[in-house]
Amino acid sequence: MKDLHALPKVRDSLSYLYVEHCRVDQDDKAIAFHDGGGKVPVPCASLVSLMLGPGTTITHAAVRTLAEHGCLVLWTGEMGVRFYAQGMGETRAARNFLQQARLVSTPEWRLRVVRRMYEMRFIEPLDESLTLQQIRGKEGIRVRETYARLSRETGVAWSGRSYRRDNWGSADPVNRALSAANSCLYGVCHAAIVSAGYSPALGFIHTGKMLSFVYDIADLYKADLTIPLAFHAVAEGQTNLESRIRRACRDVFHDARLLQRIIPDIERALSVLSPSENAEKDFDSEDALPGGLWDPLAGEMEGGVNWATAEEELEQ
Amino acid sequence: MVVIMLEKVPSSVRGELTRWMLELRSGVFVGNISALVRDKLWEVICLKLRGGAAFLLHNADTEQGFTIRSSGDSSRIIQDFDGLLLTRIP
Repeated sequence: MKDLHALPKVRDSLSYLYVEHCRVDQDDKAIAFHDGGGKVPVPCASLVSLMLGPGTTITHAAVRTLAEHGCLVLWTGEMGVRFYAQGMGETRAARNFLQQARLVSTPEWRLRVVRRMYEMRFIEPLDESLTLQQIRGKEGIRVRETYARLSRETGVAWSGRSYRRDNWGSADPVNRALSAANSCLYGVCHAAIVSAGYSPALGFIHTGKMLSFVYDIADLYKADLTIPLAFHAVAEGQTNLESRIRRACRDVFHDARLLQRIIPDIERALSVLSPSENAEKDFDSEDALPGGLWDPLAGEMEGGVNWATAEEELEQ
Repeated sequence: MVVIMLEKVPSSVRGELTRWMLELRSGVFVGNISALVRDKLWEVICLKLRGGAAFLLHNADTEQGFTIRSSGDSSRIIQDFDGLLLTRIP
């Protein structure tokens, strides 16, 4: 079944599967993982991401099969935090990627996307007169209040976010829980970004890292999804924390319809251009498409459009 | 929708199911019964299995959209992977 349009979409798929201590191999046309207790076939065509934990090996044939089905493969370490991920995406066209590159490289447009991303995190619309500095300030307050509120509600102590990956033992349980939950979220966001033909590296709010755009998109959902679930999981105890968090992530992602929302949300974050600015027209394939109208101020106005105003029409 | 699959069970059990569900092929039953009836039938099946095996499948508000219960010895085991149900072939 090679027709790309017929392939399952992210919105209809399963968010992730996490496995450890097994060998992942191709099995008929699908994949399966093998361990001492037998083999478990995996429906990889409807899987968005596969997380490989410690003790796993994977064959060349399995990776090829996963790539054919557009499943992102992630390798994770302690607390499920991923240290390597690779996926190609099924869409071969670079249209979305180029559009994202254009937006991130044009300062005025990049700023619009940044503002749109911040707006998407707030429930009430943001005052247009606020500067970026002020918006960042409001966001800082919102995040701080989210942590404080959850700490109060669940009774779990909170003294700030720490990112020490070299010494997991010293991190407190809630920080480890946040890392584990965010790792699941990053995996799903990364997979959706790649699947829709965008680049995980070209971030707008975040910059400088190969996964900057993943962090941008994940930030849309952290306060509602992973931060609460991490606090609640720790409040319930510390045994089996990593496994309970992964299970909670699956339920929370399902209840919030994350897989259905993610690609439309990415597109909403990036649709900041007016039709005249969005000059990506393929004139070669569509001869009948009207060209633009030259304008001394705007550079180019959209062609094929009647520019008479209502008053001008009445005067005629 | 509810699907029940029976392997090597006494005919009294199959008879009980045919009162509520359609037997599409030998041992495969489908119906749209209430949760209460479904759970009662499953109880009866589990009590009377006698060496056979049974699987119960019904819609659920989970990521997968369905949930599976199993009882008895079968060539396949249902295993839960952080909320995702997969079949294990020993």
